[in-house]
Amino acid sequence: MSESILSLRGLRKSFGDIEIIRGVDFELLDHERHAIIGPNGAGKSTLFHLISGSLTPTSGEIILDQQQIGGWEPEKINHLGLSRSFQITNIFPKLTTFENVRLAVMRSHGLQYAFWKFIERDVRVREETERLLEMVRLESRSSTLAGEMSYSEQRSLEIAMTLASDPKVILLDEPMAGMSHDETDYTASLIRDVTQGRALMIVEHDMDVVFSLSDRISVLVYGEIIATGTPEEIRNNAKVKEAYLGEEATA
Amino acid sequence: MKTQSVLFITAIALLLAIPFLLSQGLVDAAIQMLIAALFASAYNLLCGQAGMLSFGHAAYFGMGAFATVHAMNALDGTGLLPTPFMPLAGAVGGLLFGIVAGYFSTKRSGTYFAMITLAIAELVHALAPQLKDMFGGESGISAMRMPAWGFTFGSTNEVYYLTLVWVLLSIALLFLFTRTPLGRLTLGLRENAHRLRFLGYNTHRLSIMVFAISAMFSGIAGGLQVVSNEAANYVLFDAHLSAAVVLNTYIGGVGSFLGPVLGASVMTFFGYAVSDLTQSWLLYQGTLFVLVMMFMPTGLAGIIASLGGLHKRFGVASLAPLVVLSVISALLLSAGGTFVIEMLQRMLSQNYQSLASLQTATRWPDILLFGQSWPPASISTWLVPISLLAVGAVMGYLAKQWVQILIQREALKSESNQSEKEVVE
Amino acid sequence: MVSAGLTLIFGMMGVLNFAHASFYMLGAYFAYSLQGSIGFWGALLVAPILVGLVGVVVERFFLRRVHHHGHAHELLLTFGLSFIITELIKLVFGNYPVNYQIPDALNFAAFTIGGADYPVYRVLMGAIAIVMFIAIYLLLTRTRVGIVVRSAIYRPKMVEALGHNVPLVFMGVFGVGAALAGLAGAVAGAFYTTSPNMALELGVIVFVVVVVGGLGSLGGAMLASLLIGIITSLAISIDASLADFFALFGAREWAENIGGLMTLQVSSLSGSIPFALMLLVLLVRPNGLLGEKD
Repeated sequence: MSESILSLRGLRKSFGDIEIIRGVDFELLDHERHAIIGPNGAGKSTLFHLISGSLTPTSGEIILDQQQIGGWEPEKINHLGLSRSFQITNIFPKLTTFENVRLAVMRSHGLQYAFWKFIERDVRVREETERLLEMVRLESRSSTLAGEMSYSEQRSLEIAMTLASDPKVILLDEPMAGMSHDETDYTASLIRDVTQGRALMIVEHDMDVVFSLSDRISVLVYGEIIATGTPEEIRNNAKVKEAYLGEEATA
Repeated sequence: MKTQSVLFITAIALLLAIPFLLSQGLVDAAIQMLIAALFASAYNLLCGQAGMLSFGHAAYFGMGAFATVHAMNALDGTGLLPTPFMPLAGAVGGLLFGIVAGYFSTKRSGTYFAMITLAIAELVHALAPQLKDMFGGESGISAMRMPAWGFTFGSTNEVYYLTLVWVLLSIALLFLFTRTPLGRLTLGLRENAHRLRFLGYNTHRLSIMVFAISAMFSGIAGGLQVVSNEAANYVLFDAHLSAAVVLNTYIGGVGSFLGPVLGASVMTFFGYAVSDLTQSWLLYQGTLFVLVMMFMPTGLAGIIASLGGLHKRFGVASLAPLVVLSVISALLLSAGGTFVIEMLQRMLSQNYQSLASLQTATRWPDILLFGQSWPPASISTWLVPISLLAVGAVMGYLAKQWVQILIQREALKSESNQSEKEVVE
Repeated sequence: MVSAGLTLIFGMMGVLNFAHASFYMLGAYFAYSLQGSIGFWGALLVAPILVGLVGVVVERFFLRRVHHHGHAHELLLTFGLSFIITELIKLVFGNYPVNYQIPDALNFAAFTIGGADYPVYRVLMGAIAIVMFIAIYLLLTRTRVGIVVRSAIYRPKMVEALGHNVPLVFMGVFGVGAALAGLAGAVAGAFYTTSPNMALELGVIVFVVVVVGGLGSLGGAMLASLLIGIITSLAISIDASLADFFALFGAREWAENIGGLMTLQVSSLSGSIPFALMLLVLLVRPNGLLGEKD
């Protein structure tokens, strides 16, 4: 059994009087693909925001690679090897697709404050950028403005940018939203390939993807994790059935 | 690409030839244009490329100017820093103050950033007259250009060439900067600073660097101003200078690299040319700025670019009437506007008011304008600008319609082309 | 202290553009021009209405046209407009302060504190500021109109879907804001000086208050304007300099040798104190004293 790379202990987050995350304990093991599922408003995105540094926890601990990172700046968390994508597409709309990925690649090549050399001369950065674009099947769109691409293409771009820093831990927030069936299949297999040897935490509504992709699944309902287990265990868990059936019955 | 390099070489040749072609007064104006162009370019790095709107850039220009004036007095143009290198002192002054001011102002973004830059500039403006040792109080500090390298720097022409070299070099460096990793990240800051943080970038530090570099080149511009004027005064920190660079930059167009250069040169030239003719130049400048913001947010450079685009699509023949129409429309509109403003300006001036109160018989004596005398109380006087404006507006409308027709015609053509293709297939 | 009251109102309305500072100036100039024909009180009534109309025109024909370009564009446009307004004022009234004075009937001391007369007009200004403040507060929090306005600012699409005419609401709010700025100008212009510079001077202070207090925070704006008012008033009465401060440690000569900032009287620096406070706040609480994390 490999050890845990990211642990949440007694994590809580409130906005005013409303508690959104109500004491979450969670372990993300090294090299595992772990999906978070749950009804809308359960706090999945808030959980991601807490881990990636968008929000500061009200209480509890977030431990990444033996370090307490709760409340750290996002860039510092990124430097520890955690990279995330966003539920609402978050790209550089008026720059080309190539430029978008290149900005993401530059950081891991230590080029953030360099003003003494030309970016076009850097072969490593260019090759890495081209490789990533090819991987998400956007090589033909490399000179298109990112903001003018279709929604699903922007989702693919988002994935390429998330992978650019060669992260140890990847957080993907609904990466397949708005994709066609064919695109979803391709992206699912892509995610499977690229997360080889890394830890993945994914929020996704497409249950086929969730159950085929993940090693383990956690179910988040009203800010609490009610169950964690293999896809098989989750499928047969009574509490989960209740939560989901109850949800569907009311919907 | 070829036409571009031809244009580029022609431009450089023209700039080099200016002292042989123009009178001393115009060479002086050319120096001011170059300095304004560099200042606008430096400003554009911050507002156009990094998307940080500063309303207090006079502070960095002024700091560069005072650093240079002190360096000129302290070093006498000898030793390590001979006269041609003096603007370097301005660069250092702008850079250092830019780092400090940038640290504070880039703690916030958007409108807050704009307000903080304005407040810092006002702080400097309020403090400067009090600090006599540093800024020379109300009277300012003067210095002398010392001879160096066999040049006396006594003539305007020599100063012109010195300024030209510095401005071209600085603008070239600013252009090369856009090709560097930090230059690319500058665009990222404008587009989505939030995302940059999650890619692992420290956006505060990035912003300070961009701010400081912009301040440094503004400082060079300030230094050149001092080398040219041989004096610096706390008026350099005045809000008007900050406003002028905002206006120039946006009138030129922030979307392209050379837009602000164009805007600043054109506006400075007009400012020089009409300074004897009108007292309301700032009003014209402000009006032009508002018109640009309202109707052509891409500025002069944007107009040239879209004209180029239209030229490619439709050819010269169908474009010529459009250009003629818009130029005449613009001329008529500005003639009408100028008439109204100048009439009012003369009517409201103190001299005229006291004259009018003296002449009780005819309440409003005639006004001399454009070599003609106009009775301000008669309707026919005001019909002139009104008809100018009206005809101008109609022609502007026609020009707009013309573009629409061209676009429709093209759409029809491409449609018929497509159907032809389908038939062939 | 009175100027603190004025800035508070702007801070509360979240006015973050250059136009309102110009409206403030227009109010003073309109009142000055009208004073001769309809008297001081009449001018105080009519000038704000005129300014409000100018505000409506600015919103309808200028700001609304560029709204889709984003906030920076609007800010730039108001910057240009305020530039034009200032130049027009210079054109019409000249580039020097005009003789806009408090009517004699109001020009007497209300009471005397420590040998200094406290003019009744100052009290009046304070009262008007407080009444305006309370009126806006009640209007925004207690009435139906206020609720629509507040929600229109935060969720324009939603309010539109609920059947309210959002553009009209914005125009109204802008007009009322302009009129209030005009009233403030008409009142304050008589006490301070009415000159083409007054817009910039006020605008900068308002911006500082908003940065120090934190946007959208009523208490923040109040705290910031009070703080700036008190510290500035205190500073004016201090005749010491930093060198005197160093003298406490026996370092006076050293400080005087440095000169510059060290030997300046604190009172002569009072104009810079709000800025210094702003920098300090940015250093320790970048989001403003009571602002939330953005």
